[in-house]
Formats: sequence, structure tokens, C-alpha cells
Amino acid sequence: MQWHDTAWVGMVYTLLLVFFILFNIYRSEKKRKDLFIRRIPGLNAIDDAIGRATEMGRPVLMVPGVGDLNAISVQAVNIFAHVTKTAAQFSTPIRLCVANAAVYTVAQEVIRDVYQQQGLEERYDTDSVRFVTDRQFAFAAGVSGLILREKVAAAFFLGEFFAESLIFAETANGVGAIQVAGSTEKSQTPFFIAACDYVLIGDEFYAASAYLTRQPILVGSLVGQDWAKILMAATVFLGFWVNSYQRGQMTDTHRMTLKDASEEDWNKLTEDQKKTFSTAETWKKNDDGKTELASPEDTGLYRAFNPLFTKEDLTVTRQPDPDAPKEAGGGEQ
Amino acid sequence: MINLLAQVPTYNFWRVPPLSGELWLKIGVTLLLCCGIVAFLMNAPTRVRRPVVWFFTFIAGAFYVALWIWPQPVSREPNTLPRDGIEGIGFLLNDIQPRVADVSNILTTILLGLGIYSLLRIHLSKIVKRQADSPFSIVLIVSMLAITLVGYMDWYMREFSVAGKEGKLQEMVNWTPINFAQNLLFDGFLQQMDSAMFSMIAFFILSAAYRAFRIRSVEATVLMASALILMISLLGGIVFAWNHGVANMAAGMHIPLANPEINEAGYLNNLKITSAAGWLRNTLQVPALRAVDFGIGLGALAMGLRLWLGLEKGGVTV
Repeated sequence: MQWHDTAWVGMVYTLLLVFFILFNIYRSEKKRKDLFIRRIPGLNAIDDAIGRATEMGRPVLMVPGVGDLNAISVQAVNIFAHVTKTAAQFSTPIRLCVANAAVYTVAQEVIRDVYQQQGLEERYDTDSVRFVTDRQFAFAAGVSGLILREKVAAAFFLGEFFAESLIFAETANGVGAIQVAGSTEKSQTPFFIAACDYVLIGDEFYAASAYLTRQPILVGSLVGQDWAKILMAATVFLGFWVNSYQRGQMTDTHRMTLKDASEEDWNKLTEDQKKTFSTAETWKKNDDGKTELASPEDTGLYRAFNPLFTKEDLTVTRQPDPDAPKEAGGGEQ
Repeated sequence: MINLLAQVPTYNFWRVPPLSGELWLKIGVTLLLCCGIVAFLMNAPTRVRRPVVWFFTFIAGAFYVALWIWPQPVSREPNTLPRDGIEGIGFLLNDIQPRVADVSNILTTILLGLGIYSLLRIHLSKIVKRQADSPFSIVLIVSMLAITLVGYMDWYMREFSVAGKEGKLQEMVNWTPINFAQNLLFDGFLQQMDSAMFSMIAFFILSAAYRAFRIRSVEATVLMASALILMISLLGGIVFAWNHGVANMAAGMHIPLANPEINEAGYLNNLKITSAAGWLRNTLQVPALRAVDFGIGLGALAMGLRLWLGLEKGGVTV
């Protein structure tokens, strides 16, 4: 089993997932036919929410979370670009509150570009994209204050949220705003489900761009993700069977009376009860031929994805660098 | 290959005497150059900006992909030479990584300046125009200036004053009014207000839970029942009584309270409240969260790939 102990399987596996996504992007660009994407209520509600804000003459609030500039905040800003596009057409005011300076710069550029592309540059308000603060609860306080003061009619909380998620959602609920939320932090999703009208769960957040724009590249990428999911599900089932088989092979299951475990407890039972008690333990033989408890780390699938370094692998002798500064402990020995 | 490169004398642009005129000149020229590039990019049309942005995105992405794929040198010690070319490139990538992180940190710092500019512009304009809620803007600006000023003065005293260097300012008895002001503003106000905001979550949980647990549909009923089991499983007294009752049923006899776990083999033990809660958590919740994790991970991977390769059109890469 040593041949896969350097965890190259994990790298090949990841590259296979990458190939699925890129291949489907290529395929979708070639074919350009409409692919079915299941209905996502949270994304269908975007237009309704903006329409409501337009009718009420109140702003639309967008918050891309409190995370750094990464794939999550970029995706959130992409969705907000779509929201802004619709809002710009109806002259609905927007408020995009940001907790990270890098995200602020990107968001400002994107929102300005959206207005430019729509030919509505005069409707762009430079104060619509705001850097509030990079402190989590100060940001929560700032955004909550804005929600209450401006009585936003629609709120979009999409991105990386932590403990402040419920503060936003409940405050917006308090002013009667229609809320669409989605967080990649799975611990915050239940809070959004409890407090918001529509919630994007898990990868629905990443599917939003494809769903809203139907661009072939994005839809192809979505199909690639589905292929990757099928592969992952197959791997889970394979792992299930392989682990069961391997652990079965090294298992010596035997019935053991409670007497072996605790004499005191055993003596409290009647003779009939004593017959019903048993327990099983999983053992394996180690290299010395002795038995020890088997662990999940001993299975092939675990070893395939996790490198196994021996003591010899970690003992490396290298030549000293003659050009290294002497005070740093280098130089010629 | 690497050994040959090692013979080339290393040149460091910044290796000049500290605080020398040459160093300040280099810093000034570099700063001007960076400002020029930023100004050019800010004012360039989208069709010019896009390839530039994509080029730097691609280079940065390619570096981290290489860092991930390339075999990493194990047990590396300082001032040692790589054993072969593959390890040499591994050394190189490892050495470059902190520099790339530095670039990222510098960019973030510059962007923080832009953020502060946005904040000042919005609130100063509110104050000048005497708009509604402008007193809050005054409080914000004054607080921001005060905490910045006092913070820097406190740092300067701790780092450069005689008392600071001798470590005397570690003890409150030696504090000056500046140190007290810093303590009041940071620990006295900011931290306390953070805690106050955080504590408000408890009340929001209550109101959100009330709405979520109203039984309006089958899903809400299931949610309510699951939540009830989980919440009860955390109540010590009820758990003790419930589990002991179930253990009695499983054993078909009265078991002394001191040993309620005596019959582990009886199937009725599954009715223990802790077993039911554990089943909900481990058999239903954990697999569902794993599935969500898989989806999020794949989504992030696809998004990253599209950004790295410049395939994303619209939004961020307009």
C-alpha cells in the first residue's frame, strides 16, 4: 500500500475536479445551448424585492459580509452588480456597506461600471458604496443604524457572515424589509433561515451568477461542478465500502461479557440478564504481531489522501550554504 | 541549475545605509511610481484595465498554484543548499512566498486609506450640509481622530520613552494621562461596546427563534421537534431522569440511580434523550453539513478558476 502514501492521489483528484469544470466551460462555449437550472426561490425574489423598494421609494441594502477580498466576496459583489443593474433602471437608491477596504474598492468600481454600462452614470451616487469599519461589531452597529435610519425596503446579505448575521437580519426584519440572505459560513445559515424571507444555502450562492445571467461560461462551470459532485458522491460510497471491508479484515470481533469489563456492575445483574450482555471491539495486528485497536487512519482511502512520512523521509542531510551570513549560523563549516 | 545560480552575487535594491539620502530617494521614487500606476489604472478605460488586472491576477494565482503543486522541501534548515533542481525550485517558491504576502499586505494597507477617505467624505459632507443625524457623524469623526492620535502617542511612549524602554509602563502605577486615555478609549469604550453588540445577539436569537418555531408547515414542525430534543438534551436534571427511566425499561428492572448506564446492549437505550440528540447531530446534521461543505468548496474552486483564467465576464471583471 506504500505506492499511494505520498498523497499524490489527492492532488490528482483535485486536478480531475478542475478538469471537469474547465471541460464543461469549454463544452458550453462550443454548444451554447440552454441548460436547465433548477428554480432557486431566493434568486427569483431579487426582482420582487427591488420592485418593492422602488414602489416604497426606499433604498436597497446590500452587504457582502465581513470577510476579506476572496472568491466569496467577489461572488457577492457579482450578485450585487446584477441587483444594482435592476435598481439603476428604476432609479432605486442602493446602499452597499462594506467591512473591508479591499472589497470596498472593488465594489465601488463594479457598481460604477454597472451604472456606466447602463448609460445611467448621472444616477450613480458616490456615497452608495460605503466603507463602514473593519471591526466586526462596530460594522454590525453601523449597518444596523443605517437600516433603522433609512428604513431600507429590501436587504441582501450575501457573503461571509459570522456572529453579526442575526443582528442584521433581525434589524432588517424589524423595519419590514424583504430579505434575501446566503452565507458560506454554514454555522450562520440557520440564523438566516430563522430570520430572513429567502436564503441561499451552500453552493446556491455560487450558482447565483449562472442563474441570473445564463452566460454559457457560468452555466458550463455549474455543470462541471455537478460532475464533480457526482465524482465526490461516488468517492464517498467507495470509501464507505473500502473502509468497511478493510476494517472488517483487521477486525477481531468477539463477544465479551460485562464481567470482563467491570466486576462490580456484573455482580448486580441476575443470571438471565448476564446472558444478554455482550460487547464488541475492533482490533488489528500491528507490525510487531501484537494486537491493538484499529483506527480510521489505517484504511486505504485515508492513506490515499493523507501523506505518510516515515522517520527516514524526514531525515534529510543538506550541504551548508557557503554564501550565508556568518551571524545567521551559515557559511562554510 | 540552482547551484550555478547560487554563484551569482545577490543584489538587493534596498540594501543601503539606514536613514541615508539614497534610501529616502528610493522610497520617494517608488512611492511616486506606485501612485502613478494606481492613478493610471483608476482613470484607464475598462478595455485597457481588464487585461492588466487579469495579468496580475493570473501571475498571483499561478504562483500559489505552483506553491501547492510543487513538492515542498521537508525538514529544511536555514542556510542550507537544495539537493537537486526540484528541491531548488521548492526552496525558491518557499522563499518568495513571504514577499508575495508582503505585497498583499501593502496593497491592503493602501486600500485601507481609501476606505478611511470614503468614511471621511460621507460624514464630513453630512456635517457640512447639516443633514439629519449629523451629530452622529461628528461623534464618529471625533472618536476616530481621538483614538488614532492617542493610540499613536501611547505606542510612541511605550516604544521610545525611557520609561517605556525600561518596561515601567507595563504597570498601571507608572502610566501617564496618555496611557490612561488609551486604556479608556480602547478597553473602556471600544471593547465594551463590542461586547454590548455581541450580547444583543442573545435577544435577537430569542425573537428569531420565536418566528422560526411557529408551527406553520411540516418543515417547521420537524424543525421544532428536533430543536426541542436537542435543547432538552442539554438540561441536566431532565436528562438524568429520562435516561434513568429508559435504562430501567431496557433492563426490565430497577437499577440504582448511581449506575444508570448499566445495560448498554438493550435496544431501548436508543430512546435515551442523549442518544436521540446524538443521532440527530451525528447522523442527520453532520452529513448534511458535509454535503453543504462539498458544494461550497466546489463553488469556490470554480469561481477561483474562472477569476484566475479571466473567464468571468461582468461583475468584478467587467
